[in-house]
Parts: sequence; structure tokens; C-alpha cells
Amino acid sequence: MSILFQGRATGATAVKQSLWSKFVMFWVHHIRQALASLGEIWLTPASSLLTVAVLGVSLTLPVTLHLMVKNLQQVSTSVDQAAQISLFLKADTNETQIAELIALLQANPEVADVQFIDKSQALAEFTAESGFGDALSYIEDNPLPHVMLVSPKNTSSVAASALLNQLQQERYVELAKLDIGWLERLDAIVSLVRQVAIAVALLLMVAVLLVVGNTIRLMILNKKDEIEVMKLVGATNSYIQRPFLYTGIWLGFFGGVLTFLIEEVLLWWLKHAIASVTQLYESTFTLQPLSLSELGYLLLVAVGLGFVGSFLAVRRNISQIEATGL
Amino acid sequence: MLRFEQVTKSYSGGFVALDRVSFHLEKGEMAFLTGHSGAGKSTLLKLISLIERPSTGKVFINGVDLSRVNKGQVPYVRRDIGMIFQNHKLLMNHSVFDNVALPLVIEGFSGKDMTKRVHAALDKVGLLDKVRCLPHTLSGGEQQRVGIARAVVNRPPLLLADEPTGNLDPDLSKDIMNVFEAFNQVGVSVLIASHDLSLLARMRYRTLTLKNGRMINDGLTSFGADE
Repeated sequence: MSILFQGRATGATAVKQSLWSKFVMFWVHHIRQALASLGEIWLTPASSLLTVAVLGVSLTLPVTLHLMVKNLQQVSTSVDQAAQISLFLKADTNETQIAELIALLQANPEVADVQFIDKSQALAEFTAESGFGDALSYIEDNPLPHVMLVSPKNTSSVAASALLNQLQQERYVELAKLDIGWLERLDAIVSLVRQVAIAVALLLMVAVLLVVGNTIRLMILNKKDEIEVMKLVGATNSYIQRPFLYTGIWLGFFGGVLTFLIEEVLLWWLKHAIASVTQLYESTFTLQPLSLSELGYLLLVAVGLGFVGSFLAVRRNISQIEATGL
Repeated sequence: MLRFEQVTKSYSGGFVALDRVSFHLEKGEMAFLTGHSGAGKSTLLKLISLIERPSTGKVFINGVDLSRVNKGQVPYVRRDIGMIFQNHKLLMNHSVFDNVALPLVIEGFSGKDMTKRVHAALDKVGLLDKVRCLPHTLSGGEQQRVGIARAVVNRPPLLLADEPTGNLDPDLSKDIMNVFEAFNQVGVSVLIASHDLSLLARMRYRTLTLKNGRMINDGLTSFGADE
């Protein structure tokens, strides 16, 4: 397009091209510029590496917190499913009373399942599993009460607590216990960690934007002369800013990859420590690493941050450089 | 082709760089713009290439009022004007080829078409054998000719040159001027700012003389009036 000279054939637009070849050339052009920006990063490895390192480390913290939340949630849901109310019966309860209570419980619509553990059976189990073995044989009377394990139909903590209160009133029940307190605390901690993760993630994302923006700004200032020349020979702002946007995207991408690598190393480092803890709890807990889709999101966010950061820098700085020329 | 109508340019602080300047450069005409440094030569060229805007008055190129050109259109206007700078304004870490190709790349050329045009432009200034060199390995005169090749590579109808022979010896200056004459002979309008009076005297083209921002002479015999 020529503003001054109507009909003057300018640029590649003057050459007749089919729509398809225009489309292909558009992408070829963009890929070429993306690769050129990659080469540009390669030429200034020191500053680019530093920026990528800052991005990688900054993003690692929110990702770690996310993994923490994810794994804690896994613990809390697995426990929640097994929520059981233990009814410890009074010591003088006899067989018929027990049968009566079982029938009563089974008739309760809130109860999914009732399991009765006889006190001698409980003692045998305890002897086998606790490791006190022989020492227990010196005890003459069985000190353990009969226990009923009641599984509530509704395993949410509120419904389970209501059932607990109801069962507490039963005549032969000495003590009803629902081990839900620690579950509630765990839930509260998980949601706290999640809130912290969100806040930290937001703060660090802003930091990443600023870091990328500053890096791109320095790059623009370094190339001030070059940009001036390009403006003098008729380059538009959008043409000049494109390589910088690609640079931002690459920085974000490499930052995301670095985050993933740091995270993997971190998980590998912690795996043994976590395994020894979970072994103590005889838990079947397995550490959940970043899934493929989460890795995808991570890279997407990192690339997005790189793009937005460079866009902010480019918008401000490139239009400010005016051709002083001549 | 290029018309100034009562153009005044004053800078903040009250300095008047150009004072009611009017002239008309015909299509296919070649002219010199001369005057002492500070007389307003550079300002005049900046008004044409839209680096600066006039305070009052109007500049027309090919009948188009430049005051109607908005900021976003400025790059497209510059693509129609070949500009040559005293300090060359080359990209020092790019090859001669890349420098000359820059205006074409900006306009979306690529591949064989671009290579052909770059080679043609370098051939015209006699530097075809330096295609792969970096600018700083070239002499001042050669760098200037790279600048000229870049200015003409997309065949603009108007060429502006600011002191193109600024720091060159007389023989090289003559060569550069011959290059401009060759473009002028194929119909390109050329405006050359220069204070090299002996060169102007030898060339015998129309000469516009500025003094303290005013056009004091427009014609062949400008030198007496300038003193």
C-alpha cells in the first residue's frame, strides 16, 4: 500500500499470490521470526539465562504449593471415605443386649453397615499387632470393651457428627467416637495452604511479569539504534515489536521447562523422606507428581506470562523511540 | 512532486529553524539544498520524512498533504521515500546484504525476489562483491554506497540525501554524485542537502539556499548570495 503514490506497486503485496500461499507465507514468516528470536536469545546467553532462572525459581514455589495441596487432598479424601464411628459398649453388656443393639442399629436409616468386634477377638488382634504379645498374657481380665464399628451412609463430617450424637444416647453405649477432628483440621490446613498458594502464585506472577518486562526493556534499549534505523526505512511498530514478543514467549517457555525440572528434582529429593514418614503410618500414600495436563497448564501460564510481560514492555518502549534521523 | 507552502518550523524555546519556506521540486528533477550548518537543511529534510511536523504551512508530496498523514501511516510514507544519511545509519552487526534487504523485508519480501532486488541495488552502486561483508569492514565511501543501495532498493520515486559526501574526498564524492545522477536519469526525483560548494559548482543543478531558516536563493547561482 502506498499512501503518497496511488498505484505504485510496493512490497510483496504487489506480487500476485493465492490465498493459500499467503496463508502459508504468514506462518512461514512467523516461524522464521520465532526462530530468529530464539537465535537472539542464544546470542546473549548470560542475561537470558538469568531471566529464565528467575522465572523457573519463581514459578517453582506456587507449583510446589499446588502439589502439596493436591497430595494433602488425596490423604483427606481417602480418610473421609472410611469415616467410621466406633461405639465402645459398657463393660456389663450381655449377649442379648448386644443382639438388640445390632438390630436397632441396622434398622437405623442413617447406618450403612454395622460390624461387631467381640472383646476377646479385639484382645487377640491387639496381642498380634501391638507387639506387646507376652506381656498381655499377664493380664488376668480382658480390659477391652466390646466395640461396634458403624459406617454412616453419609460420610460427610456434618452428617457423621449428627449420627455420632444420636448413637451416643444409646443405652448400652459407654462412649461413641468419631475420629473426625483431625480430619477437619486437615481440611482446614489444606484450604489454608490452598489460599496461601493462590496468594503466593499471584504475587510471583506479578514478579515474573516485571522480570520479563524489564529484560525485554533492556533488550529494546540495547537495540535502540537498530530500531531507529528500522523506523527510518519504514518499519511499523508492530513489525519492530514482533521479535521482542517472541523473545518473551521463549523466555516464558524456558522458564516453565526449568520449573518442571526443578520440581522433578525436588520430588526425587523428597521422595525418600516422604516414604519413611508414610511407612510409619502404614499408609498406602503415594506421592502424586505433576500430571501431563498440569505440565501443560504450567507451560501455558509461563508462556502467557512471558508474552504479557514483553507486551507491556514493548508497548511502552518501542513507540517512545522516535526516529531522530538525519 | 515535492512542494513546500509557507512552511515554518519553530522549536519550543522560540528557535525558528525554518521561516516561511516555499519551493516546488518537479517530478524527475534533481536539486541541491545548501546553506551553513544550522541554516535549516536537516529540519527541512525531517519535515519531508515526517520525523518532524511543521509549525505552520504545508508540505505536499505528489499532491498529498503530509499534515493529513497520521502516526500509523508514517511508516508507509517513509517506504515511498529513499533516505540517505550522513552517518549512513547502517546496522553494524548485520551483513551488507541484510542492510540493503531491510526495506524489502519490512515490506514482506522474501526468497529469490528479494535477493534479485538486493543484488540489483548493490550492482548499481558497484558493491556486488561486498554482499557478505559487515559494514565496519568497509571504507566510509563504501558504507555510504551501501546506504544508497538501501535507499533505492524498493525503487522509491523520491530520494533524499543528507550530506551524502560529508566526509569523503573529492573523487569519492564525484562517484557518489554520479550514482545519484544515474537514478535521476531514470526518473527519480532527487533532493541532496550539501554544504560542499565546490561540488555544487561543478554539478550545475538547481540549488536551494537556506540562511537562518529562510530560503534566500532558488536557482543556479546561489553561492554569491550565501556569503
